[in-house]
Amino acid sequence: MLSLDLLVAGLISGLVIGLSALAVTLVFGVARFPNAATGDAMSLGAYAALAVAAGTGSLVAGGVAAVLAGILLNVILYLLVFRRLSDRSPIMSLLASIGAGFMIRSSLGLVYGQDPQAFRVPLARPLVLLDVRVQWLDLKLAGLTLATLAVVYLILAKTAAGRRMRAVSADPALARVSGIDPTRVMLTLWALAGGVSAVAGLVLGLKTVVTPDLGWNLLLPAFAAAVLGGIGSPLGAVAAGILLGIVQELATPFVGFTYKIAIAFAVLMLVLLIRPRGLFGRAEGAR
Amino acid sequence: MRFDRRQTLRLMAAGTLAAGLPRGASAQAEEFRVGALCPVTGAGATFGAGMQKTIIATAARINAAGGAAGRTFRVFADDDQTQPQAGVLAAKKLLEVNRVQAILGTWSSGVSLAVIPLTNEAGAILMNTSGAPALSVPPANAKHLSYRFQATNDRFGRAFAQIAAREGFKRPATMAFNNASGIGNTEGFAKAWKAQGGSLTKAVVYEPNQPSYRSELQSVLDTKPDVIVMGSYVADTAIILREWYQTGATTKFILPDWAVNASTIASLGEDVLSNCITVESVANEGSPAFADFDALYRKEMGAPGRGNNYAAMAYDMMVLLALAVEAAGPGADVAAINARIIPLSGPDGEVVSSFAQGRDALKAGRTINYDGASSVLDLDQYGDVTPDFGAYKFNGKSFERKYIVKI
Amino acid sequence: MEAYLLAIAIFVAIFTLLTLGLNLQYGLTGLTNFGLVGFFGIGAYASAILTTHGYPVVAGFAAGAALAVIAAWPIGLVALRLRDDYFAIATLGLSEVVRVAIISEKELTAGVQGIPGIPRLFAVLESRTWQPLLLLAVLVAANLGVVLVMRRIARSPFGRVIGAIRDNEEAVRALGKDPARFKTQVLMVGAGLSAVAGSFYAHYVGYVTPDQITPLVTFQIWMAMILGGTGRISGAVLGTLLLMLLIEGARFLPDLLPFVSSTAMAELRVFVVGLALVLFTVYRPQGLMGEVARR
Repeated sequence: MLSLDLLVAGLISGLVIGLSALAVTLVFGVARFPNAATGDAMSLGAYAALAVAAGTGSLVAGGVAAVLAGILLNVILYLLVFRRLSDRSPIMSLLASIGAGFMIRSSLGLVYGQDPQAFRVPLARPLVLLDVRVQWLDLKLAGLTLATLAVVYLILAKTAAGRRMRAVSADPALARVSGIDPTRVMLTLWALAGGVSAVAGLVLGLKTVVTPDLGWNLLLPAFAAAVLGGIGSPLGAVAAGILLGIVQELATPFVGFTYKIAIAFAVLMLVLLIRPRGLFGRAEGAR
Repeated sequence: MRFDRRQTLRLMAAGTLAAGLPRGASAQAEEFRVGALCPVTGAGATFGAGMQKTIIATAARINAAGGAAGRTFRVFADDDQTQPQAGVLAAKKLLEVNRVQAILGTWSSGVSLAVIPLTNEAGAILMNTSGAPALSVPPANAKHLSYRFQATNDRFGRAFAQIAAREGFKRPATMAFNNASGIGNTEGFAKAWKAQGGSLTKAVVYEPNQPSYRSELQSVLDTKPDVIVMGSYVADTAIILREWYQTGATTKFILPDWAVNASTIASLGEDVLSNCITVESVANEGSPAFADFDALYRKEMGAPGRGNNYAAMAYDMMVLLALAVEAAGPGADVAAINARIIPLSGPDGEVVSSFAQGRDALKAGRTINYDGASSVLDLDQYGDVTPDFGAYKFNGKSFERKYIVKI
Repeated sequence: MEAYLLAIAIFVAIFTLLTLGLNLQYGLTGLTNFGLVGFFGIGAYASAILTTHGYPVVAGFAAGAALAVIAAWPIGLVALRLRDDYFAIATLGLSEVVRVAIISEKELTAGVQGIPGIPRLFAVLESRTWQPLLLLAVLVAANLGVVLVMRRIARSPFGRVIGAIRDNEEAVRALGKDPARFKTQVLMVGAGLSAVAGSFYAHYVGYVTPDQITPLVTFQIWMAMILGGTGRISGAVLGTLLLMLLIEGARFLPDLLPFVSSTAMAELRVFVVGLALVLFTVYRPQGLMGEVARR
């Protein structure tokens, strides 16, 4: 019974990790570097939602604002920074993303200050389903996560833009020869990742409280989940996020609560030892 | 590659040369230099800016009142980022470049512990608001140059234990944020509670910055405590309280006051907060010093002074320091000024509550006891305060003081 | 003023040791080690624990370096099978594991309370000028020693192999040399060097806590290397100095610009460091000391 509750708790934390890992893996799969500004795009999304929700009283309007802010941020970042780095070592892009993250985080701190702010969502006692306590808010957030995953999946699988994206991801040179304009593809991709980051930030902000460090604090688990799931695999990212969330919750009563983050990385190393490309990763040669 | 070594050498030579330069013009005699080293960013950011502005504004006010013993105060502000390394560099800069004679406002224990060897070495005064017991005793405070305007973690723990007993709780558990202060509070509580003959059902320490604390909370709730004593901060407290409410449990909470802020109070609402008791060292609210501080804080920060007890402490630091400068007389050195601090804080002497009042009494040759905005001070031989503590309950809009405990 | 400059010079010298170590790993060998701070932490804590228990300073340095080298060996074996980017994330995670272990093993490390009262080096010199001067001299000598050894390595057969690994790992394998062995060795040397820097740091600050060994330190060292120039030994020194000046210089701005609040100043400092990193990666990826970009 206890473990069932923990399972639900792990599932919910895992969904948050999974969403941010989804944003990481989209960029990682095509632009080929772990974008360390993902967490800060999440924070920006959360603040945008907070501001608009406070102004209009509508959380939905806040969510739309968050997504727009995330998209705008990532498009700007791509055009000003990452487009120029696309033909260099991915480590350069990673470092630039760390720098960009610093800039976003300090700007948020400058505008909103460091004091934590909270969304005003009505609290409710839980539903009890089969002896397990479940929250309405958690159910809604889970729904939102799955919907986001579905949208991403549909865009990648069913639209022309998505097919181009996958083509660039599989073989950039071949894609270029086939007449695919890489800049357009990358713009779509960064916009998509920005939107997903913002949703992740919104969900995390609703679950917790909003600070300029909100997303940054979740970056390492998100990286771990993206690698664990297999780079470039949206489904893998979310599944790995959930897996990490559950393993962390279930294991901590035995090894102690402070070792939570260590567990995530132990799982990661273990999986990589057996399956270097991650759970759902495509077999792929050297970069 | 050819220039490598030469360049390196040139660089190092430049450093050495700079080190050998003659000292700049020494500080003007009529100026007393103060460093306001506060946690403007990092974990202490909620309080740091208010503390720093309070120190600057209080110094300006003292200067406007004519200064102390013919001296005016000049404040140099810096940010310790709530990090020991940044604190060390900032303190070096303040002590060596700005030549401050006192550093006021270090907040986290980590920063204070890292800065205190430097102030000791420079013979400068350190006034902090940190909880770590190690700060009171040698080696940290071997030179008796450090003063603490906040209750130690142990004293907080004793206050928590008294309040828990008074509320009739029998089965407390603790949850602590994994840092020195969080653990210090709950361990201080455990020590005091066990001394009263009680026992804990569970003591959990959790890592910060998580999206959820369900498993930690669940493991505590499984032991069926009637109250959970927290050593926590704003973000984690908001999450834990929300998740606690969602579990449907009926436990109560005892929290340090810094664990909630206006935004989280508004978002958590009455159903949750009516189960919480917050505890804080009681600012000396009825006192004229507090009224004075409150007006100053409202002017500087646009918020009531009650929301930042650390700023009240910062206010007292500046006033007490200025009174000590006055008492030591014109041209006194730091050691002479330092010797005046503890006696001026009371408990003996004529009670004064502002710098001007105290200065006039000193000029008239009377012994004074400065009762501050943050507490009556009465620093003990270790330079520590023993304030009273208030227990606060939620009245539907804010936390309201119900009673005071003395430890 | 001079003591403050000395303090900055000492921090620069300590961090230059780390940057040199990173340069050996990434600049010369192409190893994307994002776990530097873990080895740094091992050194700092080994020195802190041993010297506060009455063991001599040398024991702390030696134990720290030995532990870091030993820790790097299995990590090398496991992690080197990974791609660059995976390796970066794996090592980043491992440094977090080190931090969490230090937090959790309270008996040994005092957990989050940290270890205060770590003795200073050369404390026999009571002077506030001579003690740091001597320390700085020792650090400069250590840095020079490392630079000399690294230049020798770079020109040795070993150096040619690791350079080849950086540029084309497949070719090295085709020549019948095992890149993993060389990489592991480089990783171990880099780890030892990071631990030595950590020991110096612990003795200088006099107080260690787990808060001091966050990935932020690793990122700063990467920044220093990029600012100075990847693969350039002189760049490591200059980059560290430049980064330190960027961070420390902001401290003087409030004195010059009193109208900017200190809260805003603190955020601006972070912003400027971020901006510098972005501008350098975009416009001057070869860094100050400019080698041609490799890829």
